[in-house]
Amino acid sequence: MAKLVSLSDSDLSASSEESVSSRIHRSLRLAEQEKRKNEAEKPFVLALKYFSEVEVGTPVVGNDEFENHLAQVEKVAFSKGLSPEAVSVMLEFAMSLRMGSSPCARVLKCLIPDSVVPQEAVFRAVVWLSVGKIPISTQVLFIKWVLTVFDMIDAKDKLRAIYGFIFSFITDENLVCDSNAFKLLGKAGRQPYLLHLLSLYKVFCPELVTLSIPSRMRSGFKNHISPWKSALMALQKRGSLQVASSISLNFTLKNKTGSRKRRHRHLELPELSRVTNTGVNTEQTSSRKLVPLVQIQSFEQLLKNMHQIELPAQMGSLLGSRLALQYLDCVQDESALLRLNFWLGYALHEEFLFCTDGGAGQNAEEALQFLNKLLSAQQFLQEGFHSSDAFLYKFLNIWDGSLLRPQILGLLSNIPVIPSSRECQNEKLSCGLIECLNNMLLKWLTWHSVYALEDDLDISLHSHTSINITLSGFKDSVMDLVCFVGRLASVGLQLEGCHSLLLSFVLDFYETVCDTFLKFGLPLVVMPPPGVFYPAMFATDPVSLDRLAYIMNRYKMNLTSAKSQEKVTSHAFHISRQTYQEFNNYLAFMVNCLWNSSMRCPETDIQLSEELLAKSGVPQPWMRFDLIHHPAFMMYAVEFHQKCWPGRKDMDLNSIKQAKPWSWYLEFLFTQGFGGLKDFFQNNISRPGQELDSAQSKKQPLVS
Amino acid sequence: MSVLKPFSKLPNLDTASILLVENEEQVQQGLAEALVEDSAQAVNVRLARSLPLPLENEKTRPRIDLVVFILNLTSDKSFKSANESLKYLDPGYFLGKVCFMVTNARYASGNMGRLDAVRKMAASLHCPLLFAEVQSPEGVTNAARRLLTILKVASGLVPNTSSLYLSNLTRCTKPPDIDQPSFD
Amino acid sequence: MVYVFSVDCSIRNMNDSAKRSLQRLLRRIPFRMLKTSLDKWERLTAEQRRAIDLTPTKRDLIQEILSLCEENKWTEKHIAELQMIYVAENSDQDMWHTYQLVDPDDDARSVDLIQFKEQFKSHFREVQRNVFVKIRKHTDEAVWIRIAWGEGLSPPNNLRASYVVHHLQTPYVYVSSLSSKHKPLLLQALAFSTRHRGIKDANLSGRKLTALRDLLMRQYQHVFTTKFPSPLKEQNQSPLIEKEQSGPSAKRHRMAIEAFGEGALPAIQTAVYKLETKFKDPTNETMTERDEPFRCAVKFSSTNLLESLRSCASSGIASTPLTPLLSSIPLKGRNYFVITDNAPSACSQMSQTKN
Repeated sequence: MAKLVSLSDSDLSASSEESVSSRIHRSLRLAEQEKRKNEAEKPFVLALKYFSEVEVGTPVVGNDEFENHLAQVEKVAFSKGLSPEAVSVMLEFAMSLRMGSSPCARVLKCLIPDSVVPQEAVFRAVVWLSVGKIPISTQVLFIKWVLTVFDMIDAKDKLRAIYGFIFSFITDENLVCDSNAFKLLGKAGRQPYLLHLLSLYKVFCPELVTLSIPSRMRSGFKNHISPWKSALMALQKRGSLQVASSISLNFTLKNKTGSRKRRHRHLELPELSRVTNTGVNTEQTSSRKLVPLVQIQSFEQLLKNMHQIELPAQMGSLLGSRLALQYLDCVQDESALLRLNFWLGYALHEEFLFCTDGGAGQNAEEALQFLNKLLSAQQFLQEGFHSSDAFLYKFLNIWDGSLLRPQILGLLSNIPVIPSSRECQNEKLSCGLIECLNNMLLKWLTWHSVYALEDDLDISLHSHTSINITLSGFKDSVMDLVCFVGRLASVGLQLEGCHSLLLSFVLDFYETVCDTFLKFGLPLVVMPPPGVFYPAMFATDPVSLDRLAYIMNRYKMNLTSAKSQEKVTSHAFHISRQTYQEFNNYLAFMVNCLWNSSMRCPETDIQLSEELLAKSGVPQPWMRFDLIHHPAFMMYAVEFHQKCWPGRKDMDLNSIKQAKPWSWYLEFLFTQGFGGLKDFFQNNISRPGQELDSAQSKKQPLVS
Repeated sequence: MSVLKPFSKLPNLDTASILLVENEEQVQQGLAEALVEDSAQAVNVRLARSLPLPLENEKTRPRIDLVVFILNLTSDKSFKSANESLKYLDPGYFLGKVCFMVTNARYASGNMGRLDAVRKMAASLHCPLLFAEVQSPEGVTNAARRLLTILKVASGLVPNTSSLYLSNLTRCTKPPDIDQPSFD
Repeated sequence: MVYVFSVDCSIRNMNDSAKRSLQRLLRRIPFRMLKTSLDKWERLTAEQRRAIDLTPTKRDLIQEILSLCEENKWTEKHIAELQMIYVAENSDQDMWHTYQLVDPDDDARSVDLIQFKEQFKSHFREVQRNVFVKIRKHTDEAVWIRIAWGEGLSPPNNLRASYVVHHLQTPYVYVSSLSSKHKPLLLQALAFSTRHRGIKDANLSGRKLTALRDLLMRQYQHVFTTKFPSPLKEQNQSPLIEKEQSGPSAKRHRMAIEAFGEGALPAIQTAVYKLETKFKDPTNETMTERDEPFRCAVKFSSTNLLESLRSCASSGIASTPLTPLLSSIPLKGRNYFVITDNAPSACSQMSQTKN
């Protein structure tokens, strides 16, 4: 990182050298004009001239000339504020360390702008920063200064391009703090801003920061920007600050709400607001006119101004605005996403991970709303944010399974494909969980079908990231998920006594699973485990059985289609023999059971001995689960019987088994809306002889 | 030193017994009340600070179906005490009849090391690791419900399932890297 | 904040400084407490009080009172009264330090309020001219003294007045907002006017004045240590819940009660132990071999420290019996200890501070 920076650094200084020197010249010209106007300002102009021209290595100690000039600048700064040009000159002087590092902090402290701060100057100062000779305390001072005057910087297009660098600097700074933690803390005491930086860092690498940081920092920079702030306020009072009113208003307002509701400040989405408050100087420095997002009212306006949108000062505000999200989705602005993720990650960590009051108390309602907003934003974008994913990975580790469950499950279903070998485990089995996992699978599959069409091998994980996963890796992940849900569902159904609601959610899931190949183009077929198949097969409600029939039918379509493709193309995927076998066994069992009134089912792992069945005392046990006697269909059989033989006194359901009434009965069932059974019947019973695999299929059911 | 055994006694009819081990005795009582209140079946709750259990109660103590170690993540002593107690459990308990319940995890989430140690312990013993929000009454009730689900299986009240079967799914695994998804 | 200037420009008379300090005082008092304090002040007529009750905002209220101040020609004395009322009502906002009177004269027991007042004031009058002293007897028999100090020739600073609370015929004095510069003079005056020959730091401080007093006057449930364990209170709990280790827990509970008693305890917030002992750790030789003591301070804090300690002991978080260092807080009535190695007694390393 350091190497990279210093390389680009020389480039940068070379390219921006000219503009800055021209700026300095212009400033001198301007200064000259003013001199003519007002002789009283002469010393200040001279001072600026001195600072822009002073030789490298001029001594500071005992240098009266320097002292006088600096005093002059300070006087003007605190009384009237510095013009943009003066700020440029002084910042350049300070950061370039032309007279060593000792005057640097003093100059920074008097950098009070009277209108705006030129972006160029800040940009250049950041470059100087990376040269790395500036003492840490001064570096921190500079960062604090930038934060203070951030809203007064005239344009931020270039600055935005180096956000990543600034953030990495902050992280880097923390590293310095961390390794020297004792030294620094010993020397400077627990400076709030250091702790604040550390706490930021702790969000990202908690294991590296061993210091215990008060979970609720009293807004770290607040006290430390106050020298500039009070000076700015003073200037504003005297009316000499041109930009001003709204900035200072921001200051005061922020502080007020901050002190009163400091604890919950993360959970409130900020308002959309402009970055700079002046229209005057914006055009001067940036070539194009920017339209602040807050002024955009309709989608049409957004489309018209798409190329010149100015992002708001607080990125959190994007979450609350549909149009802003639309913009984010269309433009895929790296820096915007970076800023948004930074804010979001910090907010989530502060409120839900490093909490002191358990989060379950008063702010539960706020937390709920916050997460719902986040969820709706993610649903709108149809993908999750990195920071919320990263937060989830941590939060799930310590989740009690019930706190904010709907929201957490919602967020969970948005996480992108997780490479296999990672398993989330949850003891609480619930319909909500299965639904969440189904949604997750659906999203993964949809995402796969959207992004993997062009290139079968590499798929990018997020639409806006470059992390890739291979097709086989993706298949493994999906396979893991499906198998995991299979196990989960088996146990869940057992624990809940095959609860039909849970069964319904499980079948939902398998409706997604059975169609992975045909519907989503993913060459993968995974059969349900016996723990899911048999409960559905013996369910007491006809709907579950009908859905099972539908699912089995879809499996068959997928398998046949896969098989036919296997014959045509050489590089088609291979479905294991075991999958076919599993499928055939299930199919044979189903057909035998429902149509042939036979429970016999060779080659399955479950075998019921005749003696055991005999012990149950049920007469003709093999008939109990045919379409007539199955508990789910008995009611229909009785109804059919009554309709078919209205005069009969004795009910003999077995009489339906005769050829004619049987086919009528089937017709009757199909008219009752059992579409799944109908398809199953048509594809598996009426056209015998169709085999799926070379393995002997036992399914030549005879409708007797 | 007496070692607690899972099958040394006959179970009582339609009754499940659970032992809550917590060094601090902070959550125990509330959780015990929630367990007794929330269950349809009769649940016997025994409370202890640590193992071994005193010999004089040997006779009156029912067969313990599930042992729960409550670990307060903000305290080091809590973990140490639980770790010490483990050796007074018969190995038979580790076939699905022991679970760990961590409290105050979000308060101590700065301290990843302790959480890691707990996770390692639970994973090495193949036990489930539950988290509980004991600061709120809802959190305690929820924790009790989750324990009851496991307890019912462990005491044989759920047909066709055994604690060993359940633990196959619920036991804690230690992913290679907990904080970062492993693709980068 | 505009009215600051409007007052400044209006009139400059003797009343001006009183008005300014009144204004500052009023601004410091929260709105909801302001009205109760004004009610107790008894300088307002019933009508004025009614008018004040109707004033909706603090800003208007301050304006109102300031104009009344002008009308009624209130002086610093009156304003000092108001401040005293406010401080007495809200004594929790200051830190109170305790001093103990020692060596009473024979007539110490017979000092009454009038005598005390006169002696105290006259002592100040002799020593320092520009000190403004106000003495008032509070409802609970406590004597409240407010002292505004003046530096050199400058008038007394009414905004940073020291407060002293004393119950006559008791050996303790509670002081707040006292700078070290004024400490000798005040302590001298106190000893003198209560007819004692000496006064020393009692090493007890806290925000809750009543708690300090209760602790020193033993106005909380006393501890009777008996040889027989007191019967443990039966907890009504479900027969389905049973404690395995009820014996040890009962023992812990009993020991906690032995150390701290059973009832509510005075709300002491902190206890500070200043260690000046040698570093002892066999694994760390460099530190152990050092000759000079390892200096550090250990501070316990809680909203009610004694109750916290008791529950720590009874719940087993702290091992019982509690170290005498902790259990001596209620016994000795102090919460600041200096611990040195020099103490000859082996059981406790505590030694008295030299005060």
